[in-house]
Amino acid sequence: GRVTSSDDGSALPGVSVQVKGTTRGTTTDANGRYSISASPRSTLVFSFIGFTNQEVVVGNRSNVTVTLEGSANALNEVVVTGYGGTVNRREFTGASSKVNGSTIANLPVGSFDKALAGRAAGVQVTSANGVPGGAIQIRIRGIGSISAGSDPLYVVDGVQINSTNNSSFTSTNPLAFLNPNDIESVEILKDAAAASIYGSQAANGVVLVTTKRGKAGKTQITLNYYKGLADPIKKLDVLNTQQWIQLRTENLVNAGTAADAARSTVLGTLRLPTTLSDADIAALPTYDWQNAVFRQGQTDNYELGLNGGNEKTRFFVSGSYYTQSANVVNVNFKRGTLNTTLTHQINNKLSIDQTLKLSTIISNGQFGGPNGGSFLGAGAFSSPLILPSVAIYNADGSYNGTPALGGIPGILNQNVVQVSELNQIRANINQFVGSIALNYKVNDNLTIRPFISLDYRSIRGKNFSDPRTADGINVRGRIQDQFNENKNFLTNITANYTKTVGKSDFGVLLGAEFRSDVNENLLTNITNVPTPDFKYASAAALPQNIGGSWTGYRKGSVFGNIKYNFNKKYDLSFIGRLDGSSRFGANNRFGFFPSVSGAWLISEEDFLKGGRYVSDLKLRASFGTTGNDQLGSLFAAANFPGLGLVSPGFDYNSQAGFAPSQLANPDLKWETNQTINLGLDFGFLGNRITGSVDVFQRTSKDLLLPFNLPFTSGYSAISRNAGEVQNRGLELEINTVNVRAGQFQWKSSFNITTIKNKVTKLYPGIVPLNNPDSTILLSYVDFYGVGRNAILGRPLQPQFTTDYAGVNPATGRAMWYDYAGNITYRPLSPRDQKYFGSEQPKFYGGFNNTFVYGNLTLDFLFQFDYGRRSFNSQTSFLVENAGRNFNALTDVYNRRWQQAGDITDVPRAYNANAETNSVSNLGGTRTLEDASYMRLKQITLSYDVPAAISSRIKASKARIYIQGANLLTFTNWSSYDPEFLNFGSGNSGVVPNSKTYQAGINVTF
Amino acid sequence: CKDSALLEVAPRSQGDSQTALTTAEGFDAAVNGIYDRLQSVVLYGRDMLAVSEALGDNAQFTNKSGRLSGENRNLINNTFGTATSGGATWQTAYFAINQANLVLDNIGNVTFSDTSQRNRLQGQAYFLRALLYHDLSRIYSYDPGVAVPSQDRGGVPLLTAGVADQSKITFPARATVADVYKQIYSDLQNAIRLFSRSNPSAPAYGNLQAAQALFSRVALYNKDYATAVQYATSAIGGSIKLSPNASYIGGWRAPQNPESLFEVQFIVAENIGVNTSLQTSYTTLVRTGDRTATGGFGDLVPTTAFINDLEAEKSSTGAVLDIRRQLYELGTIGRGTAFIECTKFLGKNGTINLDNVPVIRVSELYLNRAEANYNLGNTTDALTDLNVIRQRCGLTAATLTGSAILTEIYRQERLEYGFEGHRWFDLKRTGQNVVKATAQGGGLAYTDNRILAPIPVNELSTNRNIVQNFGY
Repeated sequence: GRVTSSDDGSALPGVSVQVKGTTRGTTTDANGRYSISASPRSTLVFSFIGFTNQEVVVGNRSNVTVTLEGSANALNEVVVTGYGGTVNRREFTGASSKVNGSTIANLPVGSFDKALAGRAAGVQVTSANGVPGGAIQIRIRGIGSISAGSDPLYVVDGVQINSTNNSSFTSTNPLAFLNPNDIESVEILKDAAAASIYGSQAANGVVLVTTKRGKAGKTQITLNYYKGLADPIKKLDVLNTQQWIQLRTENLVNAGTAADAARSTVLGTLRLPTTLSDADIAALPTYDWQNAVFRQGQTDNYELGLNGGNEKTRFFVSGSYYTQSANVVNVNFKRGTLNTTLTHQINNKLSIDQTLKLSTIISNGQFGGPNGGSFLGAGAFSSPLILPSVAIYNADGSYNGTPALGGIPGILNQNVVQVSELNQIRANINQFVGSIALNYKVNDNLTIRPFISLDYRSIRGKNFSDPRTADGINVRGRIQDQFNENKNFLTNITANYTKTVGKSDFGVLLGAEFRSDVNENLLTNITNVPTPDFKYASAAALPQNIGGSWTGYRKGSVFGNIKYNFNKKYDLSFIGRLDGSSRFGANNRFGFFPSVSGAWLISEEDFLKGGRYVSDLKLRASFGTTGNDQLGSLFAAANFPGLGLVSPGFDYNSQAGFAPSQLANPDLKWETNQTINLGLDFGFLGNRITGSVDVFQRTSKDLLLPFNLPFTSGYSAISRNAGEVQNRGLELEINTVNVRAGQFQWKSSFNITTIKNKVTKLYPGIVPLNNPDSTILLSYVDFYGVGRNAILGRPLQPQFTTDYAGVNPATGRAMWYDYAGNITYRPLSPRDQKYFGSEQPKFYGGFNNTFVYGNLTLDFLFQFDYGRRSFNSQTSFLVENAGRNFNALTDVYNRRWQQAGDITDVPRAYNANAETNSVSNLGGTRTLEDASYMRLKQITLSYDVPAAISSRIKASKARIYIQGANLLTFTNWSSYDPEFLNFGSGNSGVVPNSKTYQAGINVTF
Repeated sequence: CKDSALLEVAPRSQGDSQTALTTAEGFDAAVNGIYDRLQSVVLYGRDMLAVSEALGDNAQFTNKSGRLSGENRNLINNTFGTATSGGATWQTAYFAINQANLVLDNIGNVTFSDTSQRNRLQGQAYFLRALLYHDLSRIYSYDPGVAVPSQDRGGVPLLTAGVADQSKITFPARATVADVYKQIYSDLQNAIRLFSRSNPSAPAYGNLQAAQALFSRVALYNKDYATAVQYATSAIGGSIKLSPNASYIGGWRAPQNPESLFEVQFIVAENIGVNTSLQTSYTTLVRTGDRTATGGFGDLVPTTAFINDLEAEKSSTGAVLDIRRQLYELGTIGRGTAFIECTKFLGKNGTINLDNVPVIRVSELYLNRAEANYNLGNTTDALTDLNVIRQRCGLTAATLTGSAILTEIYRQERLEYGFEGHRWFDLKRTGQNVVKATAQGGGLAYTDNRILAPIPVNELSTNRNIVQNFGY
């Protein structure tokens, strides 16, 4: 017989094969083959470390082939701990989650982080939008910072990546340089004990990515291809021409215009003859702009991999080409990657590890801005809002309503199809991430490892406004070029010492590190091109402006870890790191980040060992401190948050000028996180049920706050370390083998995380707002450039607004509650404002099920995110009910107040949305919605082609599959997609995520 | 290891605030930095003109982009700088004042090889500080002599020392209106003294004639009529003269209006763009006389009453006499119904949405002097100046007496400065109600709290000594 691994189908050598109830046994050879003599009625027990035991009745077979299941979350797996370290999960004292590369392989995503959604407890993954290869946000155990960054540290094969997202024109992802299929595993370090080895960068957690390595033996060639299609998840139901004319007229009439005048004004707005009869109007056509803008996207992925080597040298080489287009016009992503890793044993003391990842990306973005926004030419934003009587194309197929012909009627007067197709908005990102490490084995106990790496990235951005479009016509075309270059250099040396004395195992890691990260930026803006054929700056006659900037920081560190294990049952670990950074103020240049943690493997105690029900049980506890050095803002003065600065660019009359931009605070330092974690890892019933439960308290102190100043001082704020935020949470991961019967198996894994996030301290002296709650509120601009509020005692990212009270049934006027609960037409800010939930979810997680029957596998993942409250800034334009010259939602139109006695939440249509002596009827909680959702994130049906067939094409293995993503979404969110990030303009103009279908084949020779 | 050289990184895109103001070049750059603030949308880039017009009674909103519609209907909190972000006008003005204060605090400590350069820079800092305090005062406080006592919360905070480091931060209360005017007077006297020794180039920079002109405006607001007459007369004697009838309209088509005494300059890189520039706020036209090309939104256009007033005086053949009517023409239908629009801002700097913005023009001097003389009882002098303006615009010389003179002065102020941001403040400083049609919100009585803009919430939440205006 033969034994293979379920992970990748490879042969498993060294598997123990025993006849149950006897002492007869053998192990598999290098090709996973074994032979043993056993009677038909006997049972074979297959066991191998890292895999779940399996029992098979022999029956009449002479050949028993078995596929062992990797016991992914059991205590046998290896935990990657950083700085080249690994530890068996049995001995690991911290909190971490692991996602295996095979789990996230071949998903239609541009970057691996997107595929992590719903797969690890404590890890919240949100797509900024549905742009292929677009921005993703990961928050590990909540948000622990107010105005500083909240991104985890990403370490890919030991290289600390600069994950600053600084492409100006398209939504990009700094992690997209990596082909997700090259990943062996992703380890997410969550508590201080796990992460504090990274010191002042670890407060938001650490994501360690390990890529695939070569295996000694016959060279394997892998071919991988898939093709996918992407469709919009949802389109919005908007008014037809007749409804709109009637509604817009109603707006004007309600606002005091005579009916005849209103009718001719509306027809005039649509550029129709004002003499049209009712019958003429009834015959007018309606055009579906959403149909013209949304389309079917396509994905193609081609990959070739080689892996092999001998005892001295092993290699892994892969190349890939990936293209994906979004579900809106002219937004797409193309990436080529080349990835090589080489390990070579020079002699028995010395070996080298080398990695090199090259990638080139071209992404075409949408008009307006990478993160959406209410831009006239942004397809998702504009298409439902354009007036329905406006044609998209002329009879001859040319664009209707070009700027040369006066644009299209309405506020959105650009033909969004034309601007999307003619303008060019792109980023070309070239990145290489390379490293080399030398492992010097001094003796059996001591290894010394110098390491050096470079993470280089250049972004060439381009925004060409075609002279035929509205933005280009009056300047005869505009060319904006951006060049951004980032050089992130890292070197460290570590020494690893291990020693066993009796029942005690000692391990000591010592290291020193230096990092220098420099970013340069150049921007040009030039107008006036001869014709649209000329798209490069030399052709443009009229320079507008040129910008350039530089920023950089350096960091020097020493760190160490002492581990102690007694009797394979008790573990203790101490970590300390001293970080010095040029980012910190002159008086606080160095910070120390210690942690202590321990674990008790209870199941090794005599009272549990060998028990029937409990297979594994381990208790973990940790306490420690980590830091956050993502101070300042993304750009410009980011790396100098403590200095007093004057900034350039305050020019006048073509003469250079400057102005003060920042007050000095020499005491400024890192933010401090103190995390307490208690965890229990368990395995019951022969590890058919495994999992972990963790409770944690993460207290983030010394948080960077803008100490807001009266504007009369000449500044809006000075940065001080003052705030405190607490995240208390519970994480549960549970994996079960529900059914295992012959060739059929059903496995589930479920994870859920609930976090209570609370601002526990702002700086003293904030004057409470003039409202009955005397709310203490701080307004600030966060690290990502989004204006937000922090309210003492509330979660971060609160919604603080006035309470919409619906519509006065007698008059149709919009009403609000004032602070005392009385109805008012004119609520006052801040007097009548209140807290209405947060943009953070109350809980989130995922539920994965795998059904295996023989060679067939069905796998699906539901991901959920509950309790997030967001303003629906896309539909807030659509609920205006034609108060301005926009189209409106049919549902809102149907529910509007029309006559005395109507009970509804939609006010009467009123030109410009505000009645006399009232406020805008769009204000307050009226457009605040519940963005909770559950979606079928992924479903895959795959078939492992039997060896008998695959061997005909000389393949050792072949797999074909069909897959879907986002096929089902359950939500009350009224716009396209509840999964988005608020970069300042909420969800308006965000390219929504799509439903995708794909099919693929994977062959190994 | 406190100062490890390995960890030293100095900024290269910014400067150190400690050494910024130690050279002549530094002061030159710092003064340019103050002017740069004036270009902001919330000051002379848009709000000082367009929001004033929206609040007042010259204009109606068209709802073509929705912008300025709240201001035009005088919705609460829809005022200077508040529609875009909380209190940005106040913020930008005080940032600029701090920059002026830093210049004035330090300029005496540095040796200038050319003392006239120092006088020039120092004079401009005083001039700009005076302009900014006056603008703050007329937005956020009652003007002298017309306060509603039960609602009066005083003037604006007065800061005359710069903040270069955190030890200099103060938490000022609101000064009295009288003290604010005292400071503006002092700054203008200093500016006039310094400019008379070294006059910077008009109209891009503050200069002697502009400082005198501003003084006449400030004194008129202060009901200090003799001073208003005095400085108006001085400024009228300066080198920049009233545009004659023949070149008046042409002056509005030139990049720099020849009658501008001070004008905020914009270059191509500073284009405010299609959403909030003055051109897009006022007109859909790209160029005069061409209704085929649609440029901006034309959010705010003259009311029919305003146009009717411009057309009120006709020749015997029925032709409109007032040449200023030529500054208003029918816009395009590109964004909806066509309206008669103001074309004073029409991309005159060669690029759409790019206009220099006149802050004070010679015409104002005659009307300031006329109004001040009228209030001093010098009706003859008042009528003479009034007729200078009337005749320049093609109207006949008026022969009026008594309060009819004042009424006509107010009318000419309204027509002359149309869409330049005066009307709201002129109504306010003379204690008049704002009368508007229902479609424009119905207007407001002078005693309505919306006559004053709210102090930004930030000031109240950071400074316990600040008192909010009545009714907010």
